[in-house]
Amino acid sequence: MDEHTTRRRQPDSASSPPVSRPGPAVDDPLDADDPLLAAIQGLGDARPERNLWPAIEARVAPRSATRRSVTFTLPQLAMAATLLIAVSGGVSWLALQPPSAPGSAAEPPIRAVAEPAAAIRSDVGRASFADAQYDAAVADLESILREQSEQLDPQTVMVIERSLQAIDEAIRQSRAALDADPANTYLNSHLADARRRKLDLLRRAAGLSSGGD
Amino acid sequence: MTVDDVVLAANGDTAAFERVYNAHVPRVHGLARRMAGPEAADELTQDVFVRAWQKLGSFRGESSFGTWLHRLAVNVIIERFRTLGVARDRFLADSEAVLDVAHAPPRSRPDLGMDLDAAIERLPDGARTVFMLHDVEGYRHEEIAQMLGVSAGTSKSQLHRARHTLRAMLNAERPQASRT
Repeated sequence: MDEHTTRRRQPDSASSPPVSRPGPAVDDPLDADDPLLAAIQGLGDARPERNLWPAIEARVAPRSATRRSVTFTLPQLAMAATLLIAVSGGVSWLALQPPSAPGSAAEPPIRAVAEPAAAIRSDVGRASFADAQYDAAVADLESILREQSEQLDPQTVMVIERSLQAIDEAIRQSRAALDADPANTYLNSHLADARRRKLDLLRRAAGLSSGGD
Repeated sequence: MTVDDVVLAANGDTAAFERVYNAHVPRVHGLARRMAGPEAADELTQDVFVRAWQKLGSFRGESSFGTWLHRLAVNVIIERFRTLGVARDRFLADSEAVLDVAHAPPRSRPDLGMDLDAAIERLPDGARTVFMLHDVEGYRHEEIAQMLGVSAGTSKSQLHRARHTLRAMLNAERPQASRT
């Protein structure tokens, strides 16, 4: 059918609507002097007497939001998958780190920062995802991490930093997409999830640096 | 309308899709009117463009957009026939009412060259559908048979019947027109 369609119809660009008719198919043609053929070639098209667009628009408009909500390119999906793997890996790796044994050699200096860290974690626990509270909690945890990073294994610091970068990129992409489609439920959920992950990662990292969670 | 309008419409731009509609609505409406009758043409045209909107993402540009849209329009119209109960056996029937070509109605829209249009409108469903697909739109009998779920032989016999009836109706009008 496609082969026939290609052969049968004159190519017409999208900028110039078709104006000529294909005419009878070649498997059962009309004679060239058949008046019926002349009548077919003389058929014209006219716009409908009433404007049909408003009714069409009413039926397609709600689809706009839906289409935007599911339009992701393959690279975007690949990036999302990569981010998810990176974040999940980072969080899992942190979760598997053994807590510092009580009485170990590392205990005294860690205890020295345990109290402020615990106090901040308590604040974080009450923080909502409203920007001001969330940003303040994240800033506090990041500050603790920076201060304590020397006490953590370099590989641990590297994993934390990479995971945070991945989460930040996910948050940035979600916000950019939400700028174009603020009401999109999926994107809002995705952003909230990414922010929750960041908070969780920072909490765990702060817990590591303070000697336990 | 530009090629970009199709791309924009595929990404949800209804303003671009309105330009696509304006560029193609005469052809689509003409097809619907001739195949399904003037009463159903408006609604079918709307259905075609709504379907096009839903399917724009599947348009890959292998054919022209006009060809793609026209093909989609034919499918929508044939689907409507099925929905309305214009069943397969309707196309198989050789017992469709014989037309009284001597009493063809006067042209209602001479501005559109309604000689043939008026005659097409009076054809029985099966003959009209096959005539439109084959002689006006250029589909082969095998393709028509596949689309309608009938045999190629049925398509040929319906076409023969349609042509014969149309010639008779056009000839019946011609002397009348020459007298005026």
